[in-house]
Amino acid sequence: MSAPVGHAEDGPSAPLADSVDSGVRDRVLERVVGGVGRATTDLPPGDRIEVTLATVRRAQSRPETVGRPEPDFMWKPTFARRSLGLAAVRACVEGRFRGPAAAVGPLADDAIDEWRRSGRRTFHWEPWFAGLGPGGRAVVLAESVTWATPLWTAFDWSEVGSRSVVGGADDLWTCPVPGTVRLKGRCEARIGAGGGGGDGGARGDAVRVPGSGRAGHSGGTAALVSLSGGSPGDGWREELGYLALVAVLSHTGRPAPVRVTGLWPDTGDRRTVMVDDELLMAAADRVVATVALTSAARYAAMGTAVSA
Amino acid sequence: MAMDENGHPKGECYSQYGIPGGPESSVSSEGDPGTIPPSVGASPGRSSCWQPLAGTSLLDRLRSTGRARPSFHPTLASDLRAFVERGVEGFASSSATDHAPSVTRERLTRALACPLHRMPDRSTDRSFSLSLARGALMDALFRQVVTTGTIGDASADGLEALSLDEFQVPLVAWIGQLSPAERSELRCEIERQSDGLLRRWPALDPAWLPRTRETLRAPLAGGRVDLVARVDLAIGRPSRSEASVALVETTSGERRQSHRHDRHFDALVETLRRGVPPFVVATYFSSSGEIDVDPVTPELLIGAARRCVVGMQAMVASGIGRIRDPGDEPFCAGCAGELSVVTAPTPGSTTVSPVVAARPPVDEGILPFPRERAA
Repeated sequence: MSAPVGHAEDGPSAPLADSVDSGVRDRVLERVVGGVGRATTDLPPGDRIEVTLATVRRAQSRPETVGRPEPDFMWKPTFARRSLGLAAVRACVEGRFRGPAAAVGPLADDAIDEWRRSGRRTFHWEPWFAGLGPGGRAVVLAESVTWATPLWTAFDWSEVGSRSVVGGADDLWTCPVPGTVRLKGRCEARIGAGGGGGDGGARGDAVRVPGSGRAGHSGGTAALVSLSGGSPGDGWREELGYLALVAVLSHTGRPAPVRVTGLWPDTGDRRTVMVDDELLMAAADRVVATVALTSAARYAAMGTAVSA
Repeated sequence: MAMDENGHPKGECYSQYGIPGGPESSVSSEGDPGTIPPSVGASPGRSSCWQPLAGTSLLDRLRSTGRARPSFHPTLASDLRAFVERGVEGFASSSATDHAPSVTRERLTRALACPLHRMPDRSTDRSFSLSLARGALMDALFRQVVTTGTIGDASADGLEALSLDEFQVPLVAWIGQLSPAERSELRCEIERQSDGLLRRWPALDPAWLPRTRETLRAPLAGGRVDLVARVDLAIGRPSRSEASVALVETTSGERRQSHRHDRHFDALVETLRRGVPPFVVATYFSSSGEIDVDPVTPELLIGAARRCVVGMQAMVASGIGRIRDPGDEPFCAGCAGELSVVTAPTPGSTTVSPVVAARPPVDEGILPFPRERAA
């Protein structure tokens, strides 16, 4: 956790300078589509690849693990903490609670009550959480508090809160190539450029972007905020750039984010990259490399299965 | 460990044991006498008037160390980093692994320990014991108390919490296989300690941002080595300008010297990662309600840095993550003394045991630190 953003000249509230024009967008799109198309020529028919920030990182830091089958999904506290933690930060930004420690319990209780009353799931994990006893619930709440606190203390929310989206929907973009390659960009917060915007789910003053079906900002997104575990690796710039890339590709009618701020609470790191042609191209190359690695791993696995 | 007449280790001030009115105590004389509950599990030999701190008194003990909030020279953190990094050059270059090796308090303590005192490596040795089970359960229950302020059935709550942690699933299975007598013993102790926790541990204002099991990580030497700690509880909003965070570790067992070294290591890692140290580090003993509080000073951090360097160099000498051949290692003064009795020269002989003579006690204070930077 670092000092509030008001102290950082490169933080999300710093002046805007949109350097991504339509020409840049076209070149980035061409780089991604061309590269992904070449990388997936051997992808088994019907196979799908979903690229996330985690897979982009893994492709560089632990390439041997890319393409391995994922274990069967089971809810666990570390899966639930992000959604509950984001809700806690959002509630704190709105002034409903004095800190994440006060917010997580009531928010979880409200979600369970709502699910029991109407069947609607706020977080998806309500049935699992409702089946836990006090010891298990305490773990989920504690994990959420510890996850949320660095995000809550990273910014001067009184300054940026009114034009921020905490959480919100992921950016999604499907690459127009044979086979299905989808990019998912997940940010913890989007700081607006001012003059409007907000969280469509929580604040009620969002601007709907035509065709997207999701909330956005009338003034564009000044900064994306990403929170990660561990420490920033060698490729942290391109990895933050990946989030901007997905935002650019998935929202063609919207100004590109100007910067991406990464928070690594474990190490206390806070780093910001400016979004420009060079960063987006580098991020596009990382996407292509990730897809190529995944595709090759899948192809090898298919060959192994056939020979077996 | 030598104890005084009240059951406290000699040479350590009373204020560390939460006794109002000690030489460094900051607890006001009027501070909540009514909230102090009767002692639970007081150590034999302790004065009958001794009471563990509770509620706001316990909180005051943590918040007010009896010293002014320390101010630090702006370059202290960078000097500490440079000092530790110089000391780990061999460590970093000797690593043959693809990923940065982690230096944790446990590995450091193991590397520095006398072979006869060395604790098992929990990352590889998954043998279990009642004390290990008690510790894991109390860690989970402490977290529950901090987060929710309640405990229902202590054993059930603790076991459920552990069962959600993949690493602890084998321990849960081991507990399930205990004999009825052992399980009853464990349950009784867990209930006793959790009862004390519930009655004494203060509710923490959410504005103080209490968070549990916070990971502290300080990459060194360009990311080739990571100093890593995970603290049971961190309180306070981090700041770039002043020491504002308190780090608390809880333990369900007896006091050991390594507890204090561990807390100092936590303070060092926090300082390296943020550039600002915590203002206090503390160990809370759930078995007795005692709390050891160490105000963080430049001297404390320098000592921790020296120990860290010596420990990492010992790890280099032995091969990272491996246990050294005990024949090559120094024994602590106590063990060396006992060994000298065992191997004492027979009457008429002038031969001194080469084993003892070749193994001087570990001296962790041999590395110089630029003292002028400590001010």
